[in-house]
Amino acid sequence: MRLKLALGLLIALLGTAAGGEEITSGSAFLSPDLRRQQDDPTRNPGWFWVEQGQGLFGRKPGASQACSQCHAEPEKSLRGAATHYPQVDAGTGQLLNLEGRIEQCRVERQKQPAFGYESGELLALTSYVASLSRGLPMDVETRGPAQPFYNAGRAFFERRQGQLNLSCKQCHDGLVGQKLRGDTISHGAGTGYPAYRLEWNGVGSLHRRLRACSLGVRATQFDYGAPEYLALELYLAARARGLPIETPAMRR
Amino acid sequence: MSLPISPPSRHSESAPSRRDIVVGAAAGIGLAALPNAVMAATQPALSELIARLTDGAVPERGRITLEIPALVENGNSVDTRIVVESPMTEADHVRWIHLIAEKNPFPDMARFHLGPRSGRAEVATTLRLATSQKVTVVAALSTGGYLTSDADVVVTLSACIDGG
Amino acid sequence: MAFNARISMPAEARAGEIIEIRVLTRHPMDRGGQSDGKGGTVPRKILNRLTATYSGEPIFRLDMYTGVSANPFVSFTTRALETGDIIFEWREDGGAVFTRTARLTVT
Repeated sequence: MRLKLALGLLIALLGTAAGGEEITSGSAFLSPDLRRQQDDPTRNPGWFWVEQGQGLFGRKPGASQACSQCHAEPEKSLRGAATHYPQVDAGTGQLLNLEGRIEQCRVERQKQPAFGYESGELLALTSYVASLSRGLPMDVETRGPAQPFYNAGRAFFERRQGQLNLSCKQCHDGLVGQKLRGDTISHGAGTGYPAYRLEWNGVGSLHRRLRACSLGVRATQFDYGAPEYLALELYLAARARGLPIETPAMRR
Repeated sequence: MSLPISPPSRHSESAPSRRDIVVGAAAGIGLAALPNAVMAATQPALSELIARLTDGAVPERGRITLEIPALVENGNSVDTRIVVESPMTEADHVRWIHLIAEKNPFPDMARFHLGPRSGRAEVATTLRLATSQKVTVVAALSTGGYLTSDADVVVTLSACIDGG
Repeated sequence: MAFNARISMPAEARAGEIIEIRVLTRHPMDRGGQSDGKGGTVPRKILNRLTATYSGEPIFRLDMYTGVSANPFVSFTTRALETGDIIFEWREDGGAVFTRTARLTVT
């Protein structure tokens, strides 16, 4: 009995060690064809959303200022910004991802109605701002005020959920590289999002992808921007620390 | 609370529609009970789809390179490239290249119209395949003949389908 | 933002040279037939035709049906003859027309 317990503990420890293995980008799990398509701007449709976002960034919404009036030379001033999201908003103490920060700017500074999560405009602006950090390593803060959110995200990742009673960790740590029907299981790094997914025939957010994960294990699908997914996004971003941002990536 | 469905999601392209299933079932009954002619009326055979393009002529096999993955990751967008061996001169060129997916709800996929100014008979596009099937190319030559080539394509099923 | 296009081709070519023209298009290519939630079905709305003219002469045409993907990619070739505009024109179900122009300089 005691031996069994010790053995169990050892396996658990080994499991933790395996969890510390190097995380790779979702692009590493694409077919060579799709990867080539992703890396070729003449082939990757995600760039249309980036282009749309760039247009919105420079345009005045109504009587208010354009994004570019505060964020002049965004190629320089916002380069690297996306690597630090999600982050805790100093004013409210809430965890904000890039989508949340853009909406906050729009409502509080531009005094415009929110675009709404997963709207074409918000996807376009998020894609554009994230694309300004292409190639830069993910670098989110997980300590201080972010610590409780990080802990909640990690707990979510490790908790068994849904009718299939699966945790994220069981597949995305334990079975990476193996097949789930036609899919190859990745580490679940969200560094390519918003991404153009063939399944969607368009660009979608990481939360849209997470909702599909929840459905996959027959678990509760949370709302876009829900605290559960925000915390998970922070944990995934922390796991992906050091991986370059690839927005707009292509996924199957 | 969670939303019942996500606004931008659409029905999976690869999922069989109710109609496909009904037609499939009808074809099964036809196989057991009906003569061949009646079956052909419900599901046109590939040879008929081709004959319709060539005014009945049987196209010659070969001189076409059809590049399409044998194993498709997602039927929503399938990279396809076609090269036809042709001098592409005024006298001898490819007039058009036509693509057929026999098991798509609408088998005609695309037709490229070319001419001597094309320089080469080389085109590419992204196709939509409803299911695993044979993809057929028919090329019409200015000299009057037709060429054909085909490829069997397996469309794999994704585990991570989007339910929103 | 239903339509946009990205045309990739060399800006310059030698006379007689064959160039490849690559066209990526933003369009949902809605094949239609899905339920509209009100007892009917969504009508088909795709780009059904792309034509290219070079200095006014037609050089390429693509007829598209529902078997062409959303946000389609198309490539074709043409022989560089003279400096001129290559005009791309898409026709959408319902009659809308979109155009883009690219300049080819022949040396």
